[in-house]
Amino acid sequence: MIGHFDPKQYARSAAHDKDLGTPFPTGTALVNLEIDGITITVPEGTSVLRAAALADINIPKLCATDSLEPFGSCRLCAVEVEGRRGLPASCTTPVVEGMKVTTQNERLAKLRRNVMELYISDHPLDCLTCPANGDCELQDMAGSVGLREVRYGFDGENHLQATKDESNPYFSFDPSKCIVCSRCVRACEEVQGTFALTIDGRGFDSKVAAGQDEAFMDSDCVSCGACVQACPTATLMENSVIDHGVPDRSVVTTCAYCGVGCSFEAQMKGDKLVRMVPYKGGDANHGHSCVKGRFAFGYATHPDRLTTPMIRESIDQPWREASWEEAIGFAASRLKAIQAEHGRESIGGITSSRCTNEETYLVQKLIRAAFGNNNTDTCARVCHSPTGYGLKTTLGESAGTQTFDSVMKADAIIVIGANPTDAHPVFGSMMRKRLRQGAKLIVADPRRIDLLKTPHLNEAQHLPLRPGTNVALINALGHVVITEGLEDQAFVAKRCDTQAYQSWRTFIADPRHSPEASEAITGVAAAAVRQAARTYATAGNGAIYYGLGVTEHSQGSTMVMGIANLAMATGNIGREGVGVNPLRGQNNVQGSCDMGSFPHELPGYQHVADPIARGRFEAAWGVQLDDEPGLRIPNMFDAAIEGTFKALYVQGEDIAQSDPNTQHVEAALRSLDCLIVQDIFLNETAKFAHVLLPGSSFLEKNGTFTNAERRINRVRKVMPPVAGKQDWEITQDLANALGYPMQYVHPSEIMDEIASLTPSFTGVSYAKLEEYGSLQWPCNDEHPHGMPTMHEINFPIGLGRFAITEYVATEERTNRRFPLLLTTGRILSQYNVGAQTRRTDNQHWHDEDVLELHPSDAEVRGVRDGDWLGITSRSGQTVLRARLSERMQPGVVYTTFHHPGSGANVITTDNSDWATNCPEYKVTAVQVERVSQPSAWQQRFNAFDQAQRGYLAKAQQEVP
Amino acid sequence: MSTNTDANLINMINQIAANLGGGRDEEAAATATCRHLETFWARPMKQRLVANLALEGVEFSPLARRAATLLATRLSERQSIAR
Repeated sequence: MIGHFDPKQYARSAAHDKDLGTPFPTGTALVNLEIDGITITVPEGTSVLRAAALADINIPKLCATDSLEPFGSCRLCAVEVEGRRGLPASCTTPVVEGMKVTTQNERLAKLRRNVMELYISDHPLDCLTCPANGDCELQDMAGSVGLREVRYGFDGENHLQATKDESNPYFSFDPSKCIVCSRCVRACEEVQGTFALTIDGRGFDSKVAAGQDEAFMDSDCVSCGACVQACPTATLMENSVIDHGVPDRSVVTTCAYCGVGCSFEAQMKGDKLVRMVPYKGGDANHGHSCVKGRFAFGYATHPDRLTTPMIRESIDQPWREASWEEAIGFAASRLKAIQAEHGRESIGGITSSRCTNEETYLVQKLIRAAFGNNNTDTCARVCHSPTGYGLKTTLGESAGTQTFDSVMKADAIIVIGANPTDAHPVFGSMMRKRLRQGAKLIVADPRRIDLLKTPHLNEAQHLPLRPGTNVALINALGHVVITEGLEDQAFVAKRCDTQAYQSWRTFIADPRHSPEASEAITGVAAAAVRQAARTYATAGNGAIYYGLGVTEHSQGSTMVMGIANLAMATGNIGREGVGVNPLRGQNNVQGSCDMGSFPHELPGYQHVADPIARGRFEAAWGVQLDDEPGLRIPNMFDAAIEGTFKALYVQGEDIAQSDPNTQHVEAALRSLDCLIVQDIFLNETAKFAHVLLPGSSFLEKNGTFTNAERRINRVRKVMPPVAGKQDWEITQDLANALGYPMQYVHPSEIMDEIASLTPSFTGVSYAKLEEYGSLQWPCNDEHPHGMPTMHEINFPIGLGRFAITEYVATEERTNRRFPLLLTTGRILSQYNVGAQTRRTDNQHWHDEDVLELHPSDAEVRGVRDGDWLGITSRSGQTVLRARLSERMQPGVVYTTFHHPGSGANVITTDNSDWATNCPEYKVTAVQVERVSQPSAWQQRFNAFDQAQRGYLAKAQQEVP
Repeated sequence: MSTNTDANLINMINQIAANLGGGRDEEAAATATCRHLETFWARPMKQRLVANLALEGVEFSPLARRAATLLATRLSERQSIAR
């Protein structure tokens, strides 16, 4: 007999699987109460509904769900409380010491039946043919309260004929089934923060409306799925469930889109993925999602998926289908022959930031151990390599300092060169939640990003700086902190290297860094800079979030160090609510860097020249390793064009589309004697390949991803690989064919090897990941459960090191020929090169890249919205459609690079970060003019694209 | 030799020197620049850069030239140790 319930004993997983009705309380003091005779102890602030649910006393409910604040509208969760009058709703009634609650008696049963009877009198009785049949809370509650008749009949006024809204490609809105519980409206407000939904009308006329009573697609809705998730009926329902029925099993895995790394339940029917549902137990996303992770998974079963290996002698020949054995053998013999002729250093490889840690580790191991050189790199080269350099130099570790949840304790938030609502939407929603609670916002960005349009935003400051002047701005902020006495002297004295601090202090106090002096460089008013510095330094907890608008510059690394300087000087490091937080682009960029993808670093950021670290790898791998760094991606391109670099193995990265100066990249790829591309589609790079190895999507493999908060999350296989092999198996086959033996049978063995060689991973294993759900590295003997907040006591280098950050203007300058600055970025619905999202219904939101320009720049050129515009830089020319936008400042134009034919990177240049060669995507001097036809590059691209697709189609047709 | 590759390398070291030069005296700046190349540059890039020191008309910044000279010394020391 249960006499006492201890919530601490409540299993973690069960708590996530069950809807406890109201959110986790904020109180800590414990309260004892009695529910149906059982004594229960819960934290202060817990609702009676939640307390009961924790003890497995399940009070009926409809408008309550534990992702939303209680609302008290359905009255189904009414209870009796001893000594109180009436029947209060248990969702809005907090627990009180000594309270005695009754949840079941005849009076309550009658009330609940009456409530349900009223609901059902205006609800279609088509349960058997309803898409929510078996997954409907209304149905469950009707059963639970024992509803047997509807005395009112169904002839009265009702909503049964309400029209469906099927405008959204992923979900339908059927208002005839709506019970107006407001869960969708509240989810849109509280969870997503978009406020696209509302209850229109009053009383019986109340109805859910998107925007100004528009179709969902025409409203502000961003299709995050929070409303669908919150809906207790079939009113908001995934089209995939309408089409295929309710799924019968589910597997928890990790999203393969952005660096937030949301946990999802892949809900299946056999091998068919019916829907992706954000997992409440996910420590990064807590049950929220965005349009990409939630809905855009159809690419995994798209007909364009490569299913058979292909080989060819040269790129102007058709492909020929081959067996795995033949293709791997062909690749290996080519690589060996090239090394025999051109030397050990003439080949290299690129690891994928979309593949798992285990796969990335294996590719760099293949390169270092089997190729015998350090010519390995990853796409982090072109996005966050300056983060690695800058943070390691100043703080001693190449990673963000906080958890995502930390933002909920920030008082002032600086966002620099990042666009979280589009590029990291689930974290963007969390940030918006904190901003609605009153945190102050400072945005440093050439564009007026959507975060500045957050509804119910408290105080927001926008510093619209000129592209390329980040370092001048961060120095001005540092100058204000020092000269106005806003630094945290106690923190600096205790935690930072005194000599480095003193030289930085002298440097930054110089009047040339004052906001007044740098105004001419940055274009930001001095008073605004002073105000921003004061806000950040004095608000309490100051947190900095940044993205590629910081790193992708000629001084990307300097800017990262400038950010770290500012955080150290103000003591905003080493606790929750503060920190330096890079927002990572791809799902596993953090992981690919951790796993030794860079040419100078073995896994765990251990330099190849370090004899002790290298010695351990040599002993484990049984080979001698090169002690000199290898080539980085841009260096590989230069060497290829020059003829010293001859073969490249590329796993899951589309360098031909994503890397700058496309014509230079194309020339490099054409120079290779052997290009091996392992990908799920014939991407742009694959069109230059000699060997095509069909890879597997994240749904088809086991492994781990590491997100931007250093969180290692499991990726679990839910369907068999389309082409028969997980990516790590292909790399292993290639290693074996090259004569370097690899015999892993499961990725967990690869993780065990990683743990044995990487000091920050020694405590990581699949068993532990099963137990804890996720782990934030460092996870080792010192931190057996991982480390959510870094640098709490000291830095990995002991004392924090201030760096001198002199502003050096980029060589990319505007002049009369190229008077405008182009900056590039992303939008919500498409992901990176778009290879995945372009093969989903996300195309409905963004089916072409456009050039955004300010109306005044358009006017002087006679450009109207929608005109074709030729955009010319020192690198090349492309043609895009014009979109006039007040988000831009005059003199700055903007585009995205999600579609290959757009050629956004035909225009970007070879300029790069001084320390890491990360390309300067964010600053390109251009001219724009109205044109009437595609650019010469686009015409060549189209012809080449058509020919290559033809070569593939021909090979596929020849199969009997 | 492709002048393009050489020009790239020299441009790169000039930028590294400009960024690492701030707040340091010339010797420390040259050492920091040289150490940066040793830490991050591939072997052929370093060798190629050093070869440029002897050429006429190559536009090293004064600090970059000093750093590259230091690199040349250290590379030859390494080679003699290896032998």
